[in-house]
Amino acid sequence: MPIVGNERDTVEVALTEREIEKIKSLLGRDPYITEWGMFDVMGSEHCSYKSSRPKLKLFEPAEENYDYVLAGPGQDAGVVDIGDDYCIAFRIESHNHPSAIEPYHGAATGIGGIIRDILCMGMRPIALLDPLRFGRLENNSHSQWLLKYVVKGIADYGNCTGIPTIGGEVEFDDSFENNCLVNVACIGVGKVEDLAPSRASKPGDYAVLMGNSTGRDGIHGVTFASRTLTQQSESDRPAVQIADPFSKKLIIEATVEAVKTGYVRGLKDLGGGGLSCASSELTGDGGTGIEFDVNKIFTREPNMTPFEIMLSESQERMMFIIKAEGLETILDIFKKYETPHAVLGRIDNSKLLRVKDADKIVVELDPTLLSDFPVIIREEKRPDFLNDLINQKTPERTLKFDEIIYQLIASENICSKEWIYRQYDHEVGVRSVVKCGDGDSGVLRIIGTNKYISASAGCNSKHCFLDPYEGAKGAVVEIGCNIVSNGLKPIAMVNCCNFGNPEKPTSFWYFSECVKGMADSIKFLNIPCVGGNVSFYNEDEVLQKVIKPTPIIMLLGYIEGQENIITLPFKKSGNPIFLIGETKNELGGSEYHSVIYNIEGGTPPKVNLDSAKRTWDFLLDANKKGFIKSAHDVNKGGFLITILEMSFPNELGADLNLYDCFDKDLTSEQFLFSESVGRFIIEVDADKIKEFIALIKKCKLYFKEIGVIMEEKQIMIKGLEENFNLDMIIGKNLFNSTLPRIMEGDM
Amino acid sequence: MSIRIAVIQFPGSNCDRDATHVLNNVIGIQADLIWHTNFKERKYDGCILPGGFSFGDYLRGGIIAAHSPAIKEAEIMLKDGRPVLGICNGFQILTEAEFLPGALLRNDTLKFECRWVHLRVENNETAFTNQMNKDAIIDIPIAHAEGRYFYDNLKELYDNDQIVFKYVSKEGLLNEESNPNGSFDNIAGVCNLERNCVGLMPHPERASEEILSPFKNTHGIKLFNSMINFIKSRKF
Repeated sequence: MPIVGNERDTVEVALTEREIEKIKSLLGRDPYITEWGMFDVMGSEHCSYKSSRPKLKLFEPAEENYDYVLAGPGQDAGVVDIGDDYCIAFRIESHNHPSAIEPYHGAATGIGGIIRDILCMGMRPIALLDPLRFGRLENNSHSQWLLKYVVKGIADYGNCTGIPTIGGEVEFDDSFENNCLVNVACIGVGKVEDLAPSRASKPGDYAVLMGNSTGRDGIHGVTFASRTLTQQSESDRPAVQIADPFSKKLIIEATVEAVKTGYVRGLKDLGGGGLSCASSELTGDGGTGIEFDVNKIFTREPNMTPFEIMLSESQERMMFIIKAEGLETILDIFKKYETPHAVLGRIDNSKLLRVKDADKIVVELDPTLLSDFPVIIREEKRPDFLNDLINQKTPERTLKFDEIIYQLIASENICSKEWIYRQYDHEVGVRSVVKCGDGDSGVLRIIGTNKYISASAGCNSKHCFLDPYEGAKGAVVEIGCNIVSNGLKPIAMVNCCNFGNPEKPTSFWYFSECVKGMADSIKFLNIPCVGGNVSFYNEDEVLQKVIKPTPIIMLLGYIEGQENIITLPFKKSGNPIFLIGETKNELGGSEYHSVIYNIEGGTPPKVNLDSAKRTWDFLLDANKKGFIKSAHDVNKGGFLITILEMSFPNELGADLNLYDCFDKDLTSEQFLFSESVGRFIIEVDADKIKEFIALIKKCKLYFKEIGVIMEEKQIMIKGLEENFNLDMIIGKNLFNSTLPRIMEGDM
Repeated sequence: MSIRIAVIQFPGSNCDRDATHVLNNVIGIQADLIWHTNFKERKYDGCILPGGFSFGDYLRGGIIAAHSPAIKEAEIMLKDGRPVLGICNGFQILTEAEFLPGALLRNDTLKFECRWVHLRVENNETAFTNQMNKDAIIDIPIAHAEGRYFYDNLKELYDNDQIVFKYVSKEGLLNEESNPNGSFDNIAGVCNLERNCVGLMPHPERASEEILSPFKNTHGIKLFNSMINFIKSRKF
């Protein structure tokens, strides 16, 4: 990497020669050493989105096209209006690199960062979700170590701050063995009037830094996250910040109370890039300027240089822009919560960011220079190996269907994740109406209203690996199905794109195709994209492994009326079971292929957006009419796994007759294990079956009545190549015991 | 005369709003959120120490909060016969303050445990259980990492009838499986000799509305109703 600076100080920067020349010409001089550090951080992929920005333009402008979107991409969080002056903020981002090196603090500070993003919109954080990816667990102590401490990091931080972790998703796959993925999402609620922009728009306002002291931890965290993992990455551990959830809890309460006074005009959290990022974005977006002395900033250790202070990524800090007349009131609130703070200076109209160290100027530049990095047009190329992979055939089956199902239900990607979510306080806040394990999404009530929101996040990395365009579409539909199966309507999306090195054309192709797939599907489904995060360089150079493409989709659902909420467990013996949506020969990237044959290829699912949309509309309508008693969308392992999962909680069995329930071109094996996207298993009220069938026929949807719920603790399957019975208690024990067995050695 | 309850907020409390919500919005009595340094017992008929991580639970759960001026105020209330309830972290604070016997150790699972459990009412003559039947089964959730009840003189607790709740199975069986954290004798909650101070690890405020309960009941609210009943019987 190039070295820049002057005779006295030099610094290594991750900028290209072209970028260095451009910075010098824009500034009209050589930057000071602190400025070099700031340009380096702000020019990193993590802050500048220089590779991804051209592709992200494919998403429609959310604020213009959807009147209920109050804040869209580019803000710290997306915000939607849910009526009666209430709004919901939500965002997702990655904390992959730190977590791969130091799982506990990496994951915990990920939670800390995403909470701040919600908080700095002026909203109270009320829920967390965590999509995760690790290597396969069985016989792999490294993967087990990562899982154990990532979960503990999330749990300790979320539990202590009193924010429930209401959901998440995890996949285990060899490609994530060293480069695990830790994506973190947060949801906040508040009144529309409390929304705080990340802008310092009025000269005369005070800029106040609040929260923890500034230390040497986390310097250059974002530049570290914009590289691939190498053997030397272990030595990057000082770039991982240290989490302090107790301080965060005080900061949350102090911030929410401060915002309620009406004196906070602007608010910004200090995350990647620290003080340099926060101060330049506040003034740059506000069209203003500021001057302050670094000596006003309270530091954790003596003799920190201006360079270190401006670039430190110490956690738990916020920058407040406060109306002059409210300064005293706000400082009193900070004093009550004993949160350290310092008045840095006043906003002016100089359009300059000027930072001094006593009487020496260390930074003096137009803040917009930092936020306006030129984009890079990257090459894209479809990998050559894909054709062979997609043409891979399913090996000849030697196991019986019941043996296969028992193996699948116990497999790492399908088994119960209770071992994980039991460590998360998922009920604090008394809002959790549908809790972990009871539904495909987490449902929260908005206290004081009749409004309910839900959220779900995830994607299928194996499907995306075989076909990123269809895989990303599938992710949008599958996450939407999770929302709909609880009776809510998807109203907004954020995403977190996890990919390899964008400088490699095949990695960039995956990213490009996934963005296209996401953009096309949300446009068709009328869902605005209100924010996103891109994490590149998820590659492990030691093992020469690129992660499977992982475009995590997070959708927010909304509904009024508690009576509309559906849960997953079967409710009543005698009620008929329906399979909605067509099953196709799509075993590519299925758990069946991976668990039974250890192959990744085959034809992956193609997504029919039109049928998905009509299915959602139908289900929400049928539910309002009271026809639906339980619902679960078909996901990994195929629809029989879905039925088993619905049967476990209340220990109700099912009698299924599948004769004539599937296309004649399909084999029984393809019908059972295909992972075609957009399907549901629905329990219908036995008294409403005629009306249900009439309605679904009117909607011209593909459906089959496949059986009936029964008291007997069995799933009986007839009408296939071979009839078979599954013992529900055996299945349930397999489902529940995998993670405890691997993680605790419990038998 | 109307009833007024204080819910004390320590730095790091996080179930303070939840308890206040149940008292204000579900039961409909006045409950105030009070910052711990501002708490004055004179104005209140009873007080609740809520769950959370007071002072980050650094050193040990509840130990720093036990030295807050609010605890001195609570002590005056107790001596005066008014009711004080400690939930989860509040229970830890009450044992650290030595208002209640015993200590709460790290769970034997060595992990945070968030799940619904079942309690059996062992003593229904306290300020917080007088609206329950003895041996009744209560469905209620726990959420803690340090909830393993320990006391080196259990006989004393039995002799004085200070055990208020025990963890049992859904059917009411007292066994190892129904004990979520390794508590001695499955003890989930205890009271002082005067019966006006109760501490328990589970969260009654999370079990006070049907919409939040997987069992579709409101067993938790009985603790708060008992408290109100106790206050009324003293006051009127």
